[in-house]
Amino acid sequence: MLYWEKEIETLDRTSLERLQVERLKKTISQACGSDYYGKQYKSKNITPEKINSIKHIQDLPFTTKEDLRSHFPWGFLSIPKKDVVRLHSSSGTTGNPTVIFHNRHDLSSWANLMARSLFTAGVRDTDVFQNIAGYGLFTGGLGFQYGIERLGCLSIPAGAGNSLRQIKLMRDYGTTVAHAIPSYLGRLFDVFKEEGLDPKKDTQLRKLVIGAEPHTEEHRRRIEEMFGVKAYNSFGLSEMNGPGVAFECEEQNGLHIWEDAYIVEIIDPKTFEPVHEGEIGELVMTTLDREAMPLIRYRTRDLTRFLPGTCSCGITHRRIDRIAGRSDDMFILKGCNIFPMQVEGILMKLPEVGEDYRIILEKIGDQDEMIIEVEVKKEWFRGDVNFLDRLQKQIERLIRDEVLVRPIIKLVEFGSIPKSDGKAVRVIDRRN
Amino acid sequence: MAYQVSIFLENKIGHLKQVTSVLKAADINIRSMHLNHTASGWGILNLVVSDPIKASRLLNDKGISTALRKIAALKMVDQPGGLDYLLGSIADAGVNFINAYGRVANDEKSAIFVLDIEDIPDAEMKLKQAGLEILSDHLVYGIKE
Repeated sequence: MLYWEKEIETLDRTSLERLQVERLKKTISQACGSDYYGKQYKSKNITPEKINSIKHIQDLPFTTKEDLRSHFPWGFLSIPKKDVVRLHSSSGTTGNPTVIFHNRHDLSSWANLMARSLFTAGVRDTDVFQNIAGYGLFTGGLGFQYGIERLGCLSIPAGAGNSLRQIKLMRDYGTTVAHAIPSYLGRLFDVFKEEGLDPKKDTQLRKLVIGAEPHTEEHRRRIEEMFGVKAYNSFGLSEMNGPGVAFECEEQNGLHIWEDAYIVEIIDPKTFEPVHEGEIGELVMTTLDREAMPLIRYRTRDLTRFLPGTCSCGITHRRIDRIAGRSDDMFILKGCNIFPMQVEGILMKLPEVGEDYRIILEKIGDQDEMIIEVEVKKEWFRGDVNFLDRLQKQIERLIRDEVLVRPIIKLVEFGSIPKSDGKAVRVIDRRN
Repeated sequence: MAYQVSIFLENKIGHLKQVTSVLKAADINIRSMHLNHTASGWGILNLVVSDPIKASRLLNDKGISTALRKIAALKMVDQPGGLDYLLGSIADAGVNFINAYGRVANDEKSAIFVLDIEDIPDAEMKLKQAGLEILSDHLVYGIKE
């Protein structure tokens, strides 16, 4: 078993926790250099000396996205501005964006975590790695880029979109590994087919890396079938750098989250207490190796759980389950809490149904309704009304059994659901 | 073996015209058509055209879902009772069909009754055994000799 950094990846839990405590003390000290934490910790009398065990993290207040937004732009900066070498920012179409600052050390640490993550998934410096992600403020582009280079692969900074060009790059340079968001890969596969090509035969792909949006296990398997290779789940968020926070190893059974770089807690978002072992809750994270802008007990709004036990790969850093959804993805219809991933899980089990779907919430008459637009794959269209009718009713039934609300299923023409090069928009709420 | 082109369409303004403009550009003639519709906002358009293979391919290229379905085009007299008689023969042949549509023939005396036989096993054989005349492909497609 090969490791990128054997010592740290296989460190026993006790030593790992001791390392975390040491780094947390340093982080608190560093964070006090910011307006936000400086003021808050002073008023609450929080000092590094008060931290002597990992449990003491629970005495620290949470940091939320609203805190980041309301102290935009410099409130969380903990070093002199002249030492900042990069910022990444969210799109922030409503209200203030969130911005994360990095100094040289932060970028190097991030690159290392990314390289470690890719190595864990079996990527090697002999790989030709095509990064099909937006370059710019979106961390998927540069985040992967620096990690790919640190690992030593031949990087192709392809950027997002333009499927014909992506295919040409793969064939010209013999791409062996590609990174893309899952909702894009379905489309890329369609373009392969339209060109009379099969990625299984006409490329040298041996691995895929997917992430940046929640997706179900069924969706991942579809992608693996389409491309004939394993697709490894990658997790990250820009507040915690970007990609490289957690990654699947070759077991593909949970994502190892790097506990030398982060303190990871899972809490009940209503009571703020840690959940019981193995329960789903909100992921709360604390940076342990960020200098420009440390974040302490940041509420990510991503929902997941720890997977119990140790992984046979030998990495001692715990695994989290694939993200079940964001706590703010959830919508309520007729009194029921529904996550888009619940709908996706059902749709992706049906081979007739395409990967693109849309949930539209609308008031029809005096009732709130959930309309799910579903594309029927071309190969499954046989010109038989009964077949389509049965399919529609089957989907209706399966979804109703899962979310306890009867949806209206709308079969739409293949390719008609609007797509973006970025993360797929799955829910449109028109109820207001 | 003759084919109709079955096309999945959403019930929206302009969608049917998307199909006809593809056919027009390729100089493909529609010989017979049937449009059905469901309460859910979509339907299936069935077309007998002069070149179903080409039509299907061109429509697919435009992103439109199509299927080629086998048809049997039966000749009948264009007179009151013509279809009634024909249906008796089809029933005698033991053929139960779900979709059919017709058109008058060019000779002013006969008509063509198009049966969808895609999901009916041994349909052609049964119809022939019952003495029914299945029109040749080129007559169905209107291709001049």
